[in-house]
Amino acid sequence: MSPLPQVLLDGLFAGGTYALMAAGMALILGVVKVINLSHGAFFMLGAYVACALAERGIDHPLAGALLAATIAFAFGVFLGKSFVNPARKYPFALAVGTLAWALLLEEAAHMVWGPHPLSVESGAPWIGPGGLVIRKWGVVAFLSSLALLGGLKALLATRPGLPLRLIAEDEEIAGSLGMDVAAIRYLTFGGACAMAAAAGALLSPSGAVTPTMGRAPLLLSLVVVIVAGMDSVVAIFFLSVALGVLGNACAYFLSPQWSYVALLAAVSLLLTARPAGIVALAGRRD
Amino acid sequence: MSPWRTLPSGPWADPFRGGWLAAGIGLLLLFPLSSPNAYFIDVFTTGFLLAAFTASWDVIGGIAGQFTLGHALPFGVATYACALLTSVAGWPLPLACAAAVLLAALVGTAMGALSAPLSGPFVALLTLSLGEIAHEVAAGHTFFSGPGGYAWGGEGGIPVTLPWVDAPPLASYYAALCLLCLASFAMLRLSRSRMGLILRAVAGSPITAQASGIPIERFKRMAFTVGSVFAGTAGAGFAVHVGRATATDLSLELSFQAATFAAVGGCGTIVGPVVGALVLHVLLQALSLPPSARVLLYALTLLVTLRFFPGGVVGTVRMAAWRVLRKDGVRPPRAGVGRPEGDGR
Amino acid sequence: MNTRIGPFLRLLAVVAGSVSSGHIALAASRSDTLKIGVLAPMSGPYAAGGTSFVQAATLAVEQANADGGVLGQQVTIVVSDSQGRVDVAKSEALRLVSQEKVAALVGAYLSEETVGAMEVAAAQRVLLIVPVAATAEITDKVQKEYERYRYVFRVGYSLRQWAELIGAFLSDRGARRYAFVGAGIRWNRELGEALEGIVAPKGMTASYSGFYSPANPAFDPVAVAVAVSPPDMVVLGDPGRNSVSFLKRLREVAPALPVLSVGGALGDARLAASIPLSAPVYVQAAAWKGGSPGATAYAEKFEHRYGAAPVGYSDTLPYDAVTVLVAAWRKAGSAEPAAVVPVLERGAFAGVAGTYRFDAAHQARWGTGPGDLRGTVVRWERDGARIVFPPH
Repeated sequence: MSPLPQVLLDGLFAGGTYALMAAGMALILGVVKVINLSHGAFFMLGAYVACALAERGIDHPLAGALLAATIAFAFGVFLGKSFVNPARKYPFALAVGTLAWALLLEEAAHMVWGPHPLSVESGAPWIGPGGLVIRKWGVVAFLSSLALLGGLKALLATRPGLPLRLIAEDEEIAGSLGMDVAAIRYLTFGGACAMAAAAGALLSPSGAVTPTMGRAPLLLSLVVVIVAGMDSVVAIFFLSVALGVLGNACAYFLSPQWSYVALLAAVSLLLTARPAGIVALAGRRD
Repeated sequence: MSPWRTLPSGPWADPFRGGWLAAGIGLLLLFPLSSPNAYFIDVFTTGFLLAAFTASWDVIGGIAGQFTLGHALPFGVATYACALLTSVAGWPLPLACAAAVLLAALVGTAMGALSAPLSGPFVALLTLSLGEIAHEVAAGHTFFSGPGGYAWGGEGGIPVTLPWVDAPPLASYYAALCLLCLASFAMLRLSRSRMGLILRAVAGSPITAQASGIPIERFKRMAFTVGSVFAGTAGAGFAVHVGRATATDLSLELSFQAATFAAVGGCGTIVGPVVGALVLHVLLQALSLPPSARVLLYALTLLVTLRFFPGGVVGTVRMAAWRVLRKDGVRPPRAGVGRPEGDGR
Repeated sequence: MNTRIGPFLRLLAVVAGSVSSGHIALAASRSDTLKIGVLAPMSGPYAAGGTSFVQAATLAVEQANADGGVLGQQVTIVVSDSQGRVDVAKSEALRLVSQEKVAALVGAYLSEETVGAMEVAAAQRVLLIVPVAATAEITDKVQKEYERYRYVFRVGYSLRQWAELIGAFLSDRGARRYAFVGAGIRWNRELGEALEGIVAPKGMTASYSGFYSPANPAFDPVAVAVAVSPPDMVVLGDPGRNSVSFLKRLREVAPALPVLSVGGALGDARLAASIPLSAPVYVQAAAWKGGSPGATAYAEKFEHRYGAAPVGYSDTLPYDAVTVLVAAWRKAGSAEPAAVVPVLERGAFAGVAGTYRFDAAHQARWGTGPGDLRGTVVRWERDGARIVFPPH
């Protein structure tokens, strides 16, 4: 195994995990206009569902992802319908409310599955040319983030995605055209939560599953979504990968202690240099 | 005209607040004399300091509408400065506290300078990153070797050297209450001053404010400086009360907590965040609930409050009261962030 | 709108009322018992450690009552959630002492919580037995300001004792180069430094030393760096859940590298079962099934009650802390701290991990004699872990 390609490949995969979460958050931020701080908690919920299934002998990754997505969709629709829609004129109250919802989910997981971590076998990796280790969960994260973001881009570019784009642009016009804005909003919320839970289910074998495991990926995905701008799918992908590679390279060449700080510093620099986010570069209207 | 001058009467003078506030302070002054045990006094003391911290968040996040998620930074800088200056440099405590507040103001000003050109969620993101960097540095690195051959810093923190051994609980209680009252009074005055009015305008519609010739970046920076001074004051008080600066003082949880307490109380009202923080802190700590019940109560209180009072309890109630009493259309001062979105257009 | 809020408020009031009144009723009915206050993080990221902590203390109190109680009284525990924060630990310690009127404190879990609780114990002159927190600050304070802090005793290991055990095990396995990996916190850094100082005279060197940030740990590059350094053994200094994630990643790039974990999460059989055993996984513990009759009995009792075997440290030493405390009370014939402190200082107290004797800094001493404390290292097999060190 030669270290440099290995570190870069792992960085690519780490970026894939950020992008995977960021895709759902971008959808919510764009259409529902909420900074969803419970996204990490839905990720955690998905991981627990997959673990609980695996403990009962059902360890096919797609089974876990499907069940987790369905459960999260139900909760997401409930949250969207009973909390997000009624309070939608108060973005700040909404952000704090989703944080409270995250605490609620964490505590529920704590009570149902106990405080101790769960863990399932991750399976042996594939060995590529030159002894390169190709981690299975990394491939899963990378490919599914590509699929999700690509699907999102395709959806927004074609006719079925028109209502979403219109609502993101101007809700009043969408409403006056006879669209059920409220329904589309909570369905989008539920769908994005389902995406987070499916991601959690797919990635659950890569580490230990605990009630607070969703907090770390939430932060970096939030960073990616806000900096990249929620309607630029390509920027989200490349920023995620850039952060993943930068973090891993920093950890390997400088010090692992500094890798998180380096990511945050890079984001701070980017923001001070480009106060309106990086998409403004492309001449996006304000 | 100085931006600090308080505006006289008009819609800014609130007819309800003065009396209730005085009664509340009176009750709090009486409380320790009813001989509760030391624990309740301690919970209230911490509550006062956290309330002052929450109100200082409101100056930046509520009144000026700069939704900061790095507000633990000036707070933690003050606690660490108190600890380092007394324990490592050997300064006397009052001097160290003054320096700590000054340092917090400096850090807050720097944070304001960096985030003033930004708007909306970018402010939250930049302040969050700065706060997290500070937390990482404080939690992950041992700075100084303590006297016994072990390290100081890291997650274990640094002790504050105090001139007394065990502070009498009553003295701490009254000192913290005094700090809270003075700080809240100053912040309230500020919020009703000309500067407060301008900050609200900046929060409400930056473009309109800019078009009226207001240097909005300068006022955003001022909000950060002022808010950080009060956060630093609360931090210095906290360091003295707890006797230790730890990495938790810089954590994202603390920043989120300030924003959350303020949201429950009512952003941009100063009184709302103070009352919200005090009530929530005492409710969650003093009832000695089982841990799960405490977390559930916290989360449910937030969800229910924000569902039915999305502008915060004080904000929504005051708005309703004004609607009832003043049907001529005069509106009370509005919060920046707690304001419903489509209203300002 | 009012009609919709009403039920919520009523529900809240009922919940709050029932909880607080139940709590008060409980406190009033137990005035004839001797109370031990247990401080541990029961919520947040450290809840797993705190929960097993309380489980161990509960077993110890049941044992004490089964042995006839103390001074004719039943013993109970009152649990407090320290939330992993120094200010909460201080204020909860104050609650236990001033409101619950506990006779002694056991806790806390993290070092910063413990130094906070220590101040309260000193100010209120209440005994504090420390089962887990390892920082040298605790014993240093006892030594320097004996009059104030003499109520504090530590049954848990000091950092130096941890490091000595690791060093002895590394030489036993004939390792020349080791890699030290941990979470980027003070506890791990100090352990790494202490280990370096201890093994340097034996000619052992660190091939790599790295600490990942707990907020966003970069496991993969650290695993790669460890694998290419290359060591004879990896010392994994993180007792938390991240150790499981890291070991999975390490096994992917270096399946043949033996690993020594300081214990904690990797001592849990359910978690260890998800790690490939392509190379040995060693785990440190204070006591393990088969180490002594007492340890075996405790492990079986714990497993029977809670459904999983103990990891042998944070769910075993709190048991010993309560056991030592109860034995000291019986020996002193009183629960007065002033009478119990000299008894604890001079006496020897049997626990699950061995016999406790305290030195001048009130740190439990290690030894090599029969029954002395010395720590142990186990090796995971598919059907459970076996003791491999110290050699019999």
